[in-house]
Amino acid sequence: MRNLAALVFVGGLAFLLLVIFNQFDFAQAPMLVGQGILADAPDRVSAANIVTAVVLGYRGIDTLGEISILFAASAAAGLVLGRRRIDARRDPPGGFILRSGVALLFPLMLVVGFYIILHGHLTPGGGFQGGVILAAAFFLPLLARPETPVDHAGLSIVEGGAGAVFILTGLAALLQGGEFLQPLLNNGVLGELVSAGTLPLLYLAVGLKVGAELAGLMACLADVEVDEP
Amino acid sequence: MNTIVLTVVLPLLAAFIVPVLSRVSPLLGRLLGPLTLAYAILLTLQVWLGMEGKPFSIALGGFQPPLGINFYVDRLSLLFTFLTLVTSLLLWPWRNETEPRQYALTLLLAASACGLALSGDLFNIYVFYELISVASFGLAAATRSGAAFAASLRYLILSGLGSVLVLCGIAIVYLQTGTLNLAQLSQLAPETLNTPLGLSAFALILLGIGVKGELFPVNSWVPEVYAAASGRVSGLLAGLVSKLAVLVIVRLLVLLFQQESALHLMLILGLLGAITGELAAWRAKDMNRMLAFSSIGQLGVIFIAFSIPGETGLFAGLALSLHHLLVKPALFLLAERWWGSLAGLRGAGLASPVAGGLFVLLALSLVGMPPLPGFWAKFLLFTGLAAQSAVIYQVAIGVVLLSIVIEANYLFRVVMDLFQPAEDDRATVVDGHGWLNLGTTFLLSALLIAGMLLMGPLGAWLEGVAMQAADPVLYFDTVFSVSAIH
Amino acid sequence: MMPIEIGTVLYAGAIGLVVIGIAGIVLSHHLFRIILALVIAEAGANLLLVLSGFRWDAIAPIITGGAAAPTMVDPVPQAMVLTSIVIGVGVQALALSLMLRAYGAYKTLDIRELQRRMSADLAGEAGTPLPQSLEEPVGGRPLPAAGGDGR
Repeated sequence: MRNLAALVFVGGLAFLLLVIFNQFDFAQAPMLVGQGILADAPDRVSAANIVTAVVLGYRGIDTLGEISILFAASAAAGLVLGRRRIDARRDPPGGFILRSGVALLFPLMLVVGFYIILHGHLTPGGGFQGGVILAAAFFLPLLARPETPVDHAGLSIVEGGAGAVFILTGLAALLQGGEFLQPLLNNGVLGELVSAGTLPLLYLAVGLKVGAELAGLMACLADVEVDEP
Repeated sequence: MNTIVLTVVLPLLAAFIVPVLSRVSPLLGRLLGPLTLAYAILLTLQVWLGMEGKPFSIALGGFQPPLGINFYVDRLSLLFTFLTLVTSLLLWPWRNETEPRQYALTLLLAASACGLALSGDLFNIYVFYELISVASFGLAAATRSGAAFAASLRYLILSGLGSVLVLCGIAIVYLQTGTLNLAQLSQLAPETLNTPLGLSAFALILLGIGVKGELFPVNSWVPEVYAAASGRVSGLLAGLVSKLAVLVIVRLLVLLFQQESALHLMLILGLLGAITGELAAWRAKDMNRMLAFSSIGQLGVIFIAFSIPGETGLFAGLALSLHHLLVKPALFLLAERWWGSLAGLRGAGLASPVAGGLFVLLALSLVGMPPLPGFWAKFLLFTGLAAQSAVIYQVAIGVVLLSIVIEANYLFRVVMDLFQPAEDDRATVVDGHGWLNLGTTFLLSALLIAGMLLMGPLGAWLEGVAMQAADPVLYFDTVFSVSAIH
Repeated sequence: MMPIEIGTVLYAGAIGLVVIGIAGIVLSHHLFRIILALVIAEAGANLLLVLSGFRWDAIAPIITGGAAAPTMVDPVPQAMVLTSIVIGVGVQALALSLMLRAYGAYKTLDIRELQRRMSADLAGEAGTPLPQSLEEPVGGRPLPAAGGDGR
């Protein structure tokens, strides 16, 4: 009975999507807002990477919502998974290759992660991509030495602090008579590292927050004792 | 005027720092959330008094729409911002043993609900909708029982399916128009979205957002989650979150999808929801499940009301939504007191007459007994339906009448049980968190009575809100009046 | 026979991924597969979204030589996809942790079995008789299992 209903539901949705597919004319979609932003962004935001200008400038509140979602997911996962008992059995430490590999990779990944974050307004990349690399960097030691406890307090300070910096940067603009999240500081020369106003700062906050959230999520998942109810 | 942004931003900021602050000082951590919400309420009232009934728009980041994202502030969005903040303050998890993470999630829920009410950008609405989803998954699982985990997981899967559908709908709209700004879309919609493709985009978005709005085919999460979550969380989800989902759908209907078939689609789903929900509630054996199913039924009726074209539909739908927003959380709080099977409720009303009396009052208003506010809301619905000539609206009258009869039947069955002397001394009345819940219920009921006494001015004012919201031209003019781009 | 355009293939791929994902969510019974199906459906939706801004004759929206080139792809969908991918990751991580806990509580990953045990759990907590299975028709028809004790 339930299977039949499910089949009907899937069939209906598939039919709907097929109809949509048939209706598309695959000519070029109109590019109203896109053209406007391409014309407006270089002068106004002065970020060489226009996607960054959109992510942090034109659609900055989306990005704030997005890091809030990650924060909500991490908080909810923490709430669901709970604290690990002190005496719980832990995985054995990794072997020699894993441990030396981690020792080699950890600083390199930190450098790459911060490079990608700080050049987000110039080249492809940015806070999210770099933040994921940072999270992976901090997850590696966890793989190599499962017995070292995770510093949850430190993580929550980083994630709270980075989120607060993002919001306070936005509020600073509001206090100066502008709108929330209006770019401050000088735009600088397009294409240079110190340019695009507060965008690099915002991306740094995003990067740290994403890194901390993902690292916290992975640490929580790695910490789970499945045997415990 | 642009301080209205703070109603979204300050709760977010508070949510970010609550876990850290709680480590430093538990007392400050507990107080931060309610204080933030109270301050946001003050800000909302300030903006309300300042706007003098005229809508305005805020370009976030100083990027003028349609390039940037704007917040559109009219009486409707301000009303829902206010209601969001007040409801989350009333249903705040006050209890001592609450984890700071739960405070953070409640604050995130409030912030994203305000954002949903205010946002004037299609994709931004999706982002806030996802935030409200994730926060509610966490809150639904916060009781940390096995049932809560399983129910929350099933809720998440259905909700994830919904977000995929919404994303597809947004992609279609963007493919057809090249913009996401609601005001600009409202201008382009008659040419570009008045097609079968536009209708299918609406169907996808309706089904996707309908998951939160307890719309008919995508509401199977409702009874499990409400049965497993605490009364306060159930009240938030049934009272607040569902209304905001409905609000978003209504905004999109008014601005983007001004076609008859879109209204009819929503009407049919609403009819099915109303009838299935009430029937399931009639069969329910325990209090929470009964309330959950009846919530599905009432949201079906709200969807029916909003599918009446023009401002009569908006007026009736708003009245029903506000009424439901007031009554449902109160009932869930009472249900926490009388947790368990309906059969075990015998004599519970005699044991605690105040709670019993409040239940009777709320049930009467829910059914629509004059002169309680529920009656006027249903009255508006019926006059609106009767004014329509299409056959399906006549059918809707019959279905709504039937659903009221069923609702009256099961609610009065409970009332009868409550006030019958118990046969044996089985003490099945579990007094949940006592006075806090009862006090909140009392407050909500007092608001209900106040609404009844002020019905005349309240109705006229609400009609003004509906008229302002039903006008896409006003929306467009407001957003682009200050814009240099257009 | 008309040559098939590459755009058609891409759009078909995106919609196909969504259909596969939705079919997987609705038809599979294993929780982990359902979550994977959700990931597939999200990938399809993201692909559809990013395709909506694509131009064949355009370059990535990054200014390399001074001024903006006239033909760049639409940057807005790229920003949106970035957002929706990150949202998806958060939701998936939460789904996994909920799945672990649900498995810990009910020792099953079959969604029908999980729902049955959860309903029994909830009914037991509330003190009501076990709800009938959703697979059965409603209407008070006596179930074979319930006939043993009552009559």
